[in-house]
Amino acid sequence: MTLQVSLPLSSSAIPGPAVIVTNLGRAYGTRLVIDNLNLRIERGEFVALLGESGCGKTTLLRALAGLDPIDGGRIVAPRRPAVVFQEHRLLPWESLWRNVSLGLQAADARARSATALTEVGLGDRLDDWPRNLSGGQAQRVALARALVQQPELLLLDEPFAALDALTRIRMHDLVRELVASHRPGVLLVTHDVDEAIVLADRILVMREGRIAFEHRTKGDGSATISRAELLAELGVVASRSPN
Amino acid sequence: MSNIEQTAAPAEFDRLQREDGAASPRRGLPLKIGKRGLQLLSWFAPVALVVLWEVLAQRGCLSPQVLPAPSKVIKTAFKLATTGSLLNDLGISLLRVIAGFAIGGAVGFVLGTLVGFSRVAEAAIDRSVQMIRAVPFLASLPLVIVWLGVGEAEKIFLVALGVTFPIYINTTLGIRQVDPKLIELGRVQGLRPLELIRRIILPGALPSILTGVRYALATAWLALVVAETIGAQSGIGFLAMDAREFLRTDVIVLTIVIYALIGVAADAIARLLERRLLAWHPNYGGAR
Repeated sequence: MTLQVSLPLSSSAIPGPAVIVTNLGRAYGTRLVIDNLNLRIERGEFVALLGESGCGKTTLLRALAGLDPIDGGRIVAPRRPAVVFQEHRLLPWESLWRNVSLGLQAADARARSATALTEVGLGDRLDDWPRNLSGGQAQRVALARALVQQPELLLLDEPFAALDALTRIRMHDLVRELVASHRPGVLLVTHDVDEAIVLADRILVMREGRIAFEHRTKGDGSATISRAELLAELGVVASRSPN
Repeated sequence: MSNIEQTAAPAEFDRLQREDGAASPRRGLPLKIGKRGLQLLSWFAPVALVVLWEVLAQRGCLSPQVLPAPSKVIKTAFKLATTGSLLNDLGISLLRVIAGFAIGGAVGFVLGTLVGFSRVAEAAIDRSVQMIRAVPFLASLPLVIVWLGVGEAEKIFLVALGVTFPIYINTTLGIRQVDPKLIELGRVQGLRPLELIRRIILPGALPSILTGVRYALATAWLALVVAETIGAQSGIGFLAMDAREFLRTDVIVLTIVIYALIGVAADAIARLLERRLLAWHPNYGGAR
């Protein structure tokens, strides 16, 4: 891996794909979990991926992260993607800045970690321990740990699912700001239809291992598709839709 | 020492051992005693016992052949320390334990690490180790004497043998118990294998390894007592056996007390290690 000494904004100066997936296939035994899937995410683009449990969306994310092998097709990504999981996965035996700098090959690792922690509002707690954090704070550190790597592709695996409603809204704002300034391509896997509407430039619905539905929003957080429509795509017939 | 007990959960072990839970609400008599009061109370019974022992010995109810007065034991300790060979013997005993612990600990840690990381190493090593472990290690003493004779090598070997297994078991267990999600994170962050071991796997296994160290310390003393009692020309055990020949009960009691004190000191060191190295762990070092 090469040393990146550029400013966070520089990667957005070069437009181009953050990841290109062609004819991806993945099977567990005889069951096809991902079936001939194609996907392209641009740098700076925020894509939300919805789908029922077991539709293959987490499998897709894990394949993009390089955590699971693939059985067919190609994934082309310029650099190793960063991942934020549903759990914060902070190392309890290391201070916050050491957690953020995990895997960072740079002489100024502490300074970079400090910058990243400041960006998520925890710049005064470099030497604190993970056990002193609330759930939302821990997830912010996980976000800093992902962004300090200056990824061109950021994979978010239901990172807000375990947070309470208020914290989740604050996290949405924070993620939107951070993505706007760092401009990685983002793939957000989520169950939450509203979250997808608020955050994404493009909403995908996955069914039976394929992208079954695609919708492009205006990208400003305003709804250009109704909740009920998306829920219908997910196979939920809304009886009391707020829209 | 029982083999089954060697892998008790560190948290539970600690809860049994620590005395700082005074603030926790307990059911019982609604007596209001502060933390200091409880601390004093906990010392009352042992101090009272020693005082009773002293009084009985002074009045001649306890024959000095059976149990000499504590004051007499303390006097003997000073005499032996200044004019006799007590400090020399103590040093020799400590050296034996340190040497045996270092050898046994290293062997146990290396084998445990191999088995923890590699299924192949587990298949090759683990069954043999478990079979040897099934033998109470003290039972092998006659065989060890046949191999190595009565001397330093035999004593150090016995200590090492006793130390190897608790360290081995807890190292393997610790490595196995490291959260696979954290290992996955290490891969995502692009850690190289050695970095993964250093920053994630070994720290994650450390609580279990330190539990092993604590058990191993207890086993080491047991091994030393037995080895020095069977045959020795120096050391605390030799002092005790020599005193037995001359019916010096005061010296015998002194050696027993020394063994106990060293055991307490060893446990304190192990606990200090836990507090220092596991400051991050909610069950160990206090809040920071």
